[in-house]
Amino acid sequence: MAEALPYQRMLQECLKGEFKLLNAGLPGEQKPLSDLLHEDYPHVVCSDGNTHLFKKKELAYLAGLIPADEQEALLLPMLIEINAEQDEMAVLCRGQVEEKVVSRILDMPTSPRQDRIVIYKAQLALLRTKLKTTTQYLFSPKSLAQDAQELDARA
Amino acid sequence: MPQQLIRVRPTKTELIKLRRRLALAKRVQKIVKDRLSILTIEFMQIAGEAVEAKRKLLADFSAAYKSLSMAAGYHGYLALEKELVASETGLEIVAGSRSVAGTRIPSFELRQPEKLVLRYNVADTSSWLDEAAQLFRQCLEASVEMAELQSSLELLGKEISRTKRIVNALEHSTIPNLQRTIKYLNMKFEEREREEKSRLKRVKVLLEQR
Repeated sequence: MAEALPYQRMLQECLKGEFKLLNAGLPGEQKPLSDLLHEDYPHVVCSDGNTHLFKKKELAYLAGLIPADEQEALLLPMLIEINAEQDEMAVLCRGQVEEKVVSRILDMPTSPRQDRIVIYKAQLALLRTKLKTTTQYLFSPKSLAQDAQELDARA
Repeated sequence: MPQQLIRVRPTKTELIKLRRRLALAKRVQKIVKDRLSILTIEFMQIAGEAVEAKRKLLADFSAAYKSLSMAAGYHGYLALEKELVASETGLEIVAGSRSVAGTRIPSFELRQPEKLVLRYNVADTSSWLDEAAQLFRQCLEASVEMAELQSSLELLGKEISRTKRIVNALEHSTIPNLQRTIKYLNMKFEEREREEKSRLKRVKVLLEQR
């Protein structure tokens, strides 16, 4: 078997840590906006056990964008998927509410494909400026799992 | 960083393994680079916001102190202190954290009643003091926002430099080493093939001579 240099072995360990770190801060569950608006300290628990706090100002801003009857359908934090091999990102959406919110913030029509609204870096910056705590990055689990498995096999 | 060959047995199996390893290293490099670009976007965004927040903070404080000094001039320091000593109140700041591409950064939010509650005697004081109170309230909000942005900048900066080191290690050490080793093995196999051919030719000549 190929004998790795000590430096490379160290790097391999480091990369495994990176993979674990990437999606560690993802929320364990998503909560509807209508519930979060009534919480004193709106938050969700992440998969690593930490809490992700939402700012009340942002929740109020989101509540102003959509009618009250649609607030239950908007699950927060909204997930922005990043694929390693692509320059575009995607906002994951289950219904039309996310589409409405994103198109209002970006001030342009959006059309979801396979439950994803495709956005580019300039639009991502705008979206993140307005929704700092109510959006979260998600590194595409498919490619990560594949790479992590291969790294494990080599270690 | 000097480029080194990875010590391997010169076999086809090892070559295949090395090729797979190179493909994986390239994919990992792409993911780490993506993370770096996300962190950089966030850093630049927060840096811009921090500049704006600092400007606002300075403007707010300057206006607030100007207003306070006007009030002090109008009432006198002793009278003003007497009015304000009972108006001290606690602050409620909600502190939490959020994750940006795997980096935990703080999130602060100042909770204040929507309407300003004045705890001094309004009848005995001038509107200068009311204005100063209103402006200092804005200063508090700006200070909390500034604290969040400043610490976020520091944490993101550290994470960016750490990620950059990994990207550089992949780009300038791991991947070139793998490529060099693959090239070396290919050359070795070609050499073996040539040796084999010339040996066969020699054997053929020897057989013909007999």
